[in-house]
Amino acid sequence: MPMLSRITSYLRNIFAREKADHDLDDEVRSCSDLLAQEKMREGVSPQQASRQAILELGGVEQVKEQVREARAGAWLDSLLQDLRYGARMLRKNPAFTAIAVLTLALGIGANTAIFTMMNGLMLHTLPVRAPGQLVELLHHYPGEPEPGFNGFSWDAYRIIRDGNHVFSDLFVGSANVFTVSADNLQPQTVFGGEVGGTFFEALGLQAAAGRLIGPEDVHMGDHAPVAVVSWSFWKSRFDLDPGIIGKEIVVGDAPVTIIGVAQRGFYGLSNEARQDIWMPISLGPSPGWGFGLLARLKPGVSLQQARVEMAVLFQTVVNAPEAGPFVRDMKLRIEPAGNGVTTPLSQMLSTPLKVLMATVGLLLLLACANLAGLLLARGVSRHHEMAVRVCLGAARSRLLRQMLTESLLLSLVGCALGIFLAYFAVHALIRVFASGRFIMGLPMHFEALTSADTRVLLFTGAIALFTGLLFGAAPAMSASKTAPASALQQAARTGESKSRQLFGKSLVASQVALSLVLVSSAGLFVEYLSHLRNRDLGFERNNLLLVTLDFAPSGYNVAQFSRLSQELVMRLDAIPGISSATFSDMSPMEGPGASTFAFAENHPEKRAQASINYVAPDYFETYGTPFLAGRDFSARDQAGSPVAIVNQAAARNCFGNENPIGGHITLSHTTLANGEETYEVVGVVEDAKYNDLQQPAPPTIYEDLLQQSFIGSQLAIRTRIDPGGAAGAVRQTEAAVLKTVPIVQIMTMNQQIDSSIVPQRLIATLSASFGALGALLAAIGLYGLLAYIVVGRTHEIGVRMALGATRSDIMRMVLRDVLWTVSAGLALGIPLVSWARRVITSLVFDLPTKSPISLVFGVAVMIALGFVAAYIPAHRAMRVDPMIALRHE
Amino acid sequence: MTAPSNNDQTNLLQGTLDMMILKSLALDQMHGLGISRRIEQITKGTFQVKPGSLFPALHRMEEEGWLVSSWGESESNRRAKYYRLTKAGRRQLESETERWGRISLAIARALEAS
Repeated sequence: MPMLSRITSYLRNIFAREKADHDLDDEVRSCSDLLAQEKMREGVSPQQASRQAILELGGVEQVKEQVREARAGAWLDSLLQDLRYGARMLRKNPAFTAIAVLTLALGIGANTAIFTMMNGLMLHTLPVRAPGQLVELLHHYPGEPEPGFNGFSWDAYRIIRDGNHVFSDLFVGSANVFTVSADNLQPQTVFGGEVGGTFFEALGLQAAAGRLIGPEDVHMGDHAPVAVVSWSFWKSRFDLDPGIIGKEIVVGDAPVTIIGVAQRGFYGLSNEARQDIWMPISLGPSPGWGFGLLARLKPGVSLQQARVEMAVLFQTVVNAPEAGPFVRDMKLRIEPAGNGVTTPLSQMLSTPLKVLMATVGLLLLLACANLAGLLLARGVSRHHEMAVRVCLGAARSRLLRQMLTESLLLSLVGCALGIFLAYFAVHALIRVFASGRFIMGLPMHFEALTSADTRVLLFTGAIALFTGLLFGAAPAMSASKTAPASALQQAARTGESKSRQLFGKSLVASQVALSLVLVSSAGLFVEYLSHLRNRDLGFERNNLLLVTLDFAPSGYNVAQFSRLSQELVMRLDAIPGISSATFSDMSPMEGPGASTFAFAENHPEKRAQASINYVAPDYFETYGTPFLAGRDFSARDQAGSPVAIVNQAAARNCFGNENPIGGHITLSHTTLANGEETYEVVGVVEDAKYNDLQQPAPPTIYEDLLQQSFIGSQLAIRTRIDPGGAAGAVRQTEAAVLKTVPIVQIMTMNQQIDSSIVPQRLIATLSASFGALGALLAAIGLYGLLAYIVVGRTHEIGVRMALGATRSDIMRMVLRDVLWTVSAGLALGIPLVSWARRVITSLVFDLPTKSPISLVFGVAVMIALGFVAAYIPAHRAMRVDPMIALRHE
Repeated sequence: MTAPSNNDQTNLLQGTLDMMILKSLALDQMHGLGISRRIEQITKGTFQVKPGSLFPALHRMEEEGWLVSSWGESESNRRAKYYRLTKAGRRQLESETERWGRISLAIARALEAS
């Protein structure tokens, strides 16, 4: 039975190798003996006979090697051998191994970290049926962040549902936060959703217990008496108790019965937060645009076709007579939702992650070039070893395999360390994100970003393999081309073949090029960040303290608020370190607030979108926004007709070149169905940045907080001293006046600005770190190359000096090498930089592309590095003693 | 035709070499050198296989289960490893013989046809 005998041979070859080897040795030698005997019978002398016998046999060791290769399991045998040998080689050079492993760990780890986050946010598919067909509908206002917001009116839903031909399913699903409690459950905040009757069915989900929400549960009216919970909710809160079906819990303040548990592993459609509870939506005419719409494309219908049809259909929605005025500028967007729906987190991070992914990719390439250079240099010192192996009968392919195994071993160890580093890196990055401001008032959840599923592991394994092959290829090929004769010569010159030296130089040149791209991109991002931070904001950012208050627990009515807030402002004004204080609805960089459509009374055609802020008197003085005309709100306005203050942009939009003071504007609120109010304009202020540092200041209309009976939760304080020092006094005064109003947070204006640009800060910091790392690697590569060249040319230097060259001649010789390599790298790198810049500009608008500062900076850094790296080798070259060099062969 | 020395040729001629070895061992067990001489003999000098190239084939065929080996004494009272056919080996020899017969007949016919 060939199979059985194969297996036994296999096992024997692995476990009884020594015996089998001995056996083989005996056999081959015995054959050689017999051959020699034959020859002696023919009359040849004994020594000649044995020599001829060996020649005819082909060499004992060679034959043995051939037999070994033909054996079953030979590949495994040689693989294990290669691994053991490789490990020993690495152990013999701990310094080299440490540097290589560290470089690889940083490169691979950085890639893994960024990819993990990309995967969690953008790449992994939802556990639903046919996620590729899933799309979400979004509406978009000009000026809002792309791609838009998923919220539609009842009318819009009906029109889309009845008029489309591209969707096989259209269903409703919105996210919300609920307070849940039960008899064994403390009141807790649970993230969940309100869904339509076909939600679960359209997604193809099964219930893990009980049943899921269906069309029969959807009804008109407010109460939603049933709910479905997630599997992990069932496990963590109820211990998988089968009695959960039919259990009564309290959501908000209404009793709800749990009718089922969702499929295990399903947590809603958002990557940002896991949903744990779903309730049927109250489907029916209701004001506002609160229905989140999702759809499934019909088989065969492409996304583009759907977009085209929807653009036409949405016109019907937009032009409907009962649609509010702001609807007309809305556009419909359809985005694939198989990887999760659009969330504030994905909007904030998708571009930065792409930029970072490219950066760490470049860094890894740089590391590969660096390691290839290192290994090549080391390979020369192993020439002798390779030559001996060739003589002993090793095939060149075997040598190649051996070298590649060593590289892959390095790569593997670097990969393991890298994964370890990546874990910490991801968590550190998440902590930075968490310091960013809350969007839409909801804290962000980052669990999605840290999940390392199989795709991440595959990615890491793939790049480790690819990296190992990439940097190992050149050294391996060079080793396998060893010509034994020349290598075994004792007098072998360490002078390299021209082509090998050129290859080493081109490796270093490519490192310089990549490093240039990294460094100048970093320079670009840092420049951009400082540009963002230092631009004129329309208000004074320093010495400004922002306090957020929570009036809910106090139960104050407007009259109480009005009286107490004014008292608090008076008391704060009295404190020596404080120059003024004010209340408002929103602070500048807090986030988006209310918006409206406004038009001047005699120019109704000039209707424009504007942001609204409710502010108390002294708002503009506290923030340092100058008045261009008119006056501030005052106490007298409270009893009078409605007044408003507009900024320049709003004035220009609504009034053109006319003086707005004394004119009237009408606002149609987006939040009220039909409400329109008219205000007299009493002041015009300078434009001030609002919500977004990158966008120009939007047209803004300020209403009188007290006149409009609005309770403002933002307290702003202009200080004469460092704001942090005033915080204590502020707390005390606030507690004294507003006893039942807790302070949610206190921060300075600068801190708030920083928290609104976390992604930009992050890109700047990370790309600067990667740039520095890349520059370091390139410098090491340069140094290694130069040191190696100098050693190789020691003889030549000796000759030159003997023939009369001075030390400075020698130094110039070395520096010429440096400059050539660096220049080659720059020549390669500069076009790369301008290409990279174009790519970045397409991703990040508002970049100061015309400025050459970052490129000049990058070039300067590379040249400086060249000189630094050349210092020691040049010195060594100059100190060469001709007598010793000439003898050095 | 001397025995192949690198892998490409080995694959092509491996079948032929295997059959030669099997045939040589059909009547009697032999050691490596003996097999080499026997092949030369029965092909009347056409195939000269270097003993060194024989060994990988012998070991491979032993792992396939066609041969079995044992240590014994050679004619000059020296230790040598002897190979002989197994039952599977004999079956292999039969099928190979038949296959070669068919092939050579076909080629002969092809060459006769004009």
